[in-house]
Amino acid sequence: MENNHEMPEGHLHWNDQEYSDSRKDVLKTIIILSVVTITEVGIAILYDHLNPTGGNFKWAINLFMVIASIVKVYFIMGTFMHLKHETKGFLMTVFVPFTFLIWAIIAFTLEGRSWEHMRSLLNVF
Amino acid sequence: MAATLEHGHHAQPSEQELWAGGRSPFKTSYGKVMMWYFLISDTFTFASFLIAYSALRFTQSEAWPKAAEVFKSIPIHGLDHYNLPLVFVSFMTFLLIVSSYTMVRAVQEGYRMNKSGVIKFLIPTLVCGVLFLGCQYLEWTHLIHDGMTATTASEATKVLNFGQLFFIITGFHGLHVFGGVVLLTWLTVATWNGTFEKRGHYEMVEKIGLYWHFVDLVWVYVFLSFYLL
Repeated sequence: MENNHEMPEGHLHWNDQEYSDSRKDVLKTIIILSVVTITEVGIAILYDHLNPTGGNFKWAINLFMVIASIVKVYFIMGTFMHLKHETKGFLMTVFVPFTFLIWAIIAFTLEGRSWEHMRSLLNVF
Repeated sequence: MAATLEHGHHAQPSEQELWAGGRSPFKTSYGKVMMWYFLISDTFTFASFLIAYSALRFTQSEAWPKAAEVFKSIPIHGLDHYNLPLVFVSFMTFLLIVSSYTMVRAVQEGYRMNKSGVIKFLIPTLVCGVLFLGCQYLEWTHLIHDGMTATTASEATKVLNFGQLFFIITGFHGLHVFGGVVLLTWLTVATWNGTFEKRGHYEMVEKIGLYWHFVDLVWVYVFLSFYLL
């Protein structure tokens, strides 16, 4: 944002145009978040109602839920937490550490599967 | 920030100028950057809890209870006989989403140096936070009454780990909400007293706002793990 250059960092004072643009952006974001959440809950309840025992498409529902949550996180971080307007270097320092988490999620999910397998072999639980 | 620092016209600042001090290479304030780094470290704590949840769930994936059975009713006396899965927790989610919206509105009013506007939007944020904690109290009481505790599984949960992970993770999240409520209370009083007006900027509203949005962000994952998957 070029217009911030002449101000002390972080001490923004907005003019009318910036204020109204930002309000519109935030209003749009809250509508998106609400719609996504209502859709998630609606689908969860509906699927459970139609398939009380689990059904064959639970994986597709789960995939949808994960993607919908990522959409929500994108809008919360991007608009509400202002990350859309931060510098690239700063974004790197925020997101690069998260690559460790991607590894951890994959590793421990596989580990859980392995424990389940071992439990079935031992058959003592 | 020292008043003597120059923030004049630098069409193309040289590398030396950028790193000579007195100016952030990230074009944002020290306080906000450090709040972000605190939130990243907090993300790792929450992530380790949620990863433990995922690993322990996969060790007993067949027996793992369905959210619609565990959270099948509204934990309010008189309404708890109806089968309304996920309705109450959706209401809790909305409290956090709405409070995030009012928080960001308070930040915007801060950019406009509008003191009464900041207070006008901080108060609903605070109210939503307190209501969320109240809802969590009702939900926990209801589940404990059903027999789901840290040492016992209820009829609906079957698996002991479900309750343990639920109380640890939602409890740690609730602790963060409580911390946010304390910060917001202080922030509202300080704004009312004109602390930030005297200072010339409302950056503190932004920093506490970042923390508050983070609490909402974590809830997205807690909601996903326990209620949607």
